[in-house]
Amino acid sequence: MGDILEVKDLRKRYGQLEAVKGIDFSVQAGEVFALIGPNGAGKTTTLRMVATILQPTSGAITLDGIDVVKEPAKARERLSYLPEEAGAYKSMKGRDYLKFMAEVFFEDPADQAESVKAAGEISGLGDRLGDKLGTYSKGMTRKLLLARSIMTRPKLAILDEPTSGLDVLGALDIRDTVKEFTRHGMAVLLSSHNMLEIEYLSDRVAIINEGVIHATGTPAELKARYSAQNLEEVFAEVAR
Amino acid sequence: MRRFWVLLRKEIKELVTPQILLPFAITIVMFMFIGNIVGSQGTEAQANRRLALLDLDKSAASAALQGAVEQAGFKIDRVTTTDPAAATTELSGNGGTLLLVVPKGYGASLAAGKPAPLDVYSVIRTFSFMAGQDSSTLSAALAAVEQAVARETVGGSAPNLDAAFLENPLQVRDHVLIGDKQADVSPDVVMGFITSQTTFVPIVLFIVVIFAAQMVAVAIATEKENKTLETLLAMPISRPAIVTAKMVAAGLVALLSAAGYMVGMRFYMDGLMKGLGGAEGAAAQAASQAFADKLGLTLGVGDYALLGLSMFGAILVALAFALILGAFAENVKAVQSLLAPLMVLLMVPYFLSLFIDINSLSPVARTLVLAIPFSHAFLAAPNLFLGNTGAVVTGALYELAWFVVLVLIAGRIFSSDRLLTMKLNFSRKKRTAV
Ligand SMILES: Nc1ncnc2c1ncn2[C@@H]1O[C@H](COP(=O)(O)OP(=O)(O)OP(=O)(O)O)[C@@H](O)[C@H]1O
Ligand SMILES: [Mg+2]
Repeated sequence: MGDILEVKDLRKRYGQLEAVKGIDFSVQAGEVFALIGPNGAGKTTTLRMVATILQPTSGAITLDGIDVVKEPAKARERLSYLPEEAGAYKSMKGRDYLKFMAEVFFEDPADQAESVKAAGEISGLGDRLGDKLGTYSKGMTRKLLLARSIMTRPKLAILDEPTSGLDVLGALDIRDTVKEFTRHGMAVLLSSHNMLEIEYLSDRVAIINEGVIHATGTPAELKARYSAQNLEEVFAEVAR
Repeated sequence: MRRFWVLLRKEIKELVTPQILLPFAITIVMFMFIGNIVGSQGTEAQANRRLALLDLDKSAASAALQGAVEQAGFKIDRVTTTDPAAATTELSGNGGTLLLVVPKGYGASLAAGKPAPLDVYSVIRTFSFMAGQDSSTLSAALAAVEQAVARETVGGSAPNLDAAFLENPLQVRDHVLIGDKQADVSPDVVMGFITSQTTFVPIVLFIVVIFAAQMVAVAIATEKENKTLETLLAMPISRPAIVTAKMVAAGLVALLSAAGYMVGMRFYMDGLMKGLGGAEGAAAQAASQAFADKLGLTLGVGDYALLGLSMFGAILVALAFALILGAFAENVKAVQSLLAPLMVLLMVPYFLSLFIDINSLSPVARTLVLAIPFSHAFLAAPNLFLGNTGAVVTGALYELAWFVVLVLIAGRIFSSDRLLTMKLNFSRKKRTAV
């Protein structure tokens, strides 16, 4: 399978601070690609640029053959984005929120109904979908938003710390669902601080620090390169 | 387009919440309630106007005086004492408000052609608008008596003199000119008519514009505060659709609530009219309506359309302005202070139009005021009454120009990443300055 996302010499400057300093990577269809790195490394900034909501200072992002910077509207049709700290409309009921999202993405009512049903199952919220979002716990909201971001079967799902705030079982379920979706061709670009999750979920990993990618490879390759027992040791090695 | 409707529906649902609807409903019910009370109180007050009369003279003249007072609609309460001081205590005791004392010698003085004293005691218990009504009715009745007496006296002593001449030696005839139209009416009447026709326009406009602006700014700030903005911006909905949906939703809800307020106001005004004027009020209004027609002071369908357009333009400008200001807000709390510049721009023409004629300001001040887009909406009604249709059209176009520019700016902000980084940049600058 070919590259669905290609990022070349991407840079982002906030005033004086250059948060991303020319990074390159690519993600293939059906692949889970993870960015790991210390706080402030530039992960969220990178994901936001791919998600079209931040404009790169320079560099190129190509999604499914589309120039994301020049044609963000087309790119948005093909991606979904789960922000690091996302909320939902508090006065809406869980199911209405999913419906609203489905109506935006799909024209056909049958497609809408199907994706709402799928998202309901992925979220595992059951009857609570009939409750207002204002009454949800943090983890429940996260589950709903995660379900929402993959229910539309985007070409690329951008998930910023997807399972943060979830309990162990919830996180396990979500990981399985994400893996399941990638088998149908969905690519995933994610960031996480949970090395266990990364090892389980990711096909390839890029280690980023201070806006620079220091190493890219499968978890096994990285461990071998840094002669480490696990990804945590690799991370520590690069971050220091 | 389909996505726009989906989003618009969501925006309206977000706005029409119990938190918004409840105060709104309460306000309207309050207006109706007050109007009703004032109305029924007024009619009741008219039906039982009471006056305590202490007639110490018992002459034909004092009997005539009593007749005139009864004619004016007063029910006469007999006083049980003959002492004025005791009578006033009695008056306060039984809750009356007016005591008329006719001193001994009233009739004799009049017959001798001397001014005859009369004592009127008014008990003031409240300072409300209604409280003064009875006293003024009594004054009017007494003035009529005065005229009748004067006429009689003059007629008796100098049959050649025209009593009407003595009363009003000067015959002032009022003519009002507006444009090329003329009517024989006093300017006071015309001013009163125009005021009664147009006062509600600036009030409603003021309320609606502030309401709409707040709603749209809060809508943006809420997206930021609840962290839904990033998700929304990454969705396949065009930036203009996002901006427009938010403005249209706020505009619609504001207009609907304006309609509600107007209905409530109407009830209030009707109640007030019933309470104060009654039949006389209605007659006076019919008379001034006739003059208004003659002077061309009535608005046709086209005028109302222009007035609506001008007001709609002001709402659009306020919406676009508030959208931009809202984009700076980190959370809902910050909205109030961020809207301050908009409030000032709105307040200046509002208060000026209430108290002075903007058209007669010095050229510099006038230009400054007219540069504020909202001024044109406040000036639209008076301008239309005066037939300055051109000024209203120009004003509406000026508003439109502002709207277009503001929407372009809003569009730029929404399609760049300033919406997400703007606030941060602010605090950064401050920090380096310290
Ligand atoms: N809106 C902004 N304005 C200015 N600087 C910013 C802004 N957003 C992020 N930064 C800066 O950019 C750098 C990278 O931040 P980013 O959020 O991408 O880090 P991250 O890798 O996601 O960190 P974390 O693991 O804590 O989520 C940081 O130094 C941060 O302070
Ligand atoms: Mg981050």
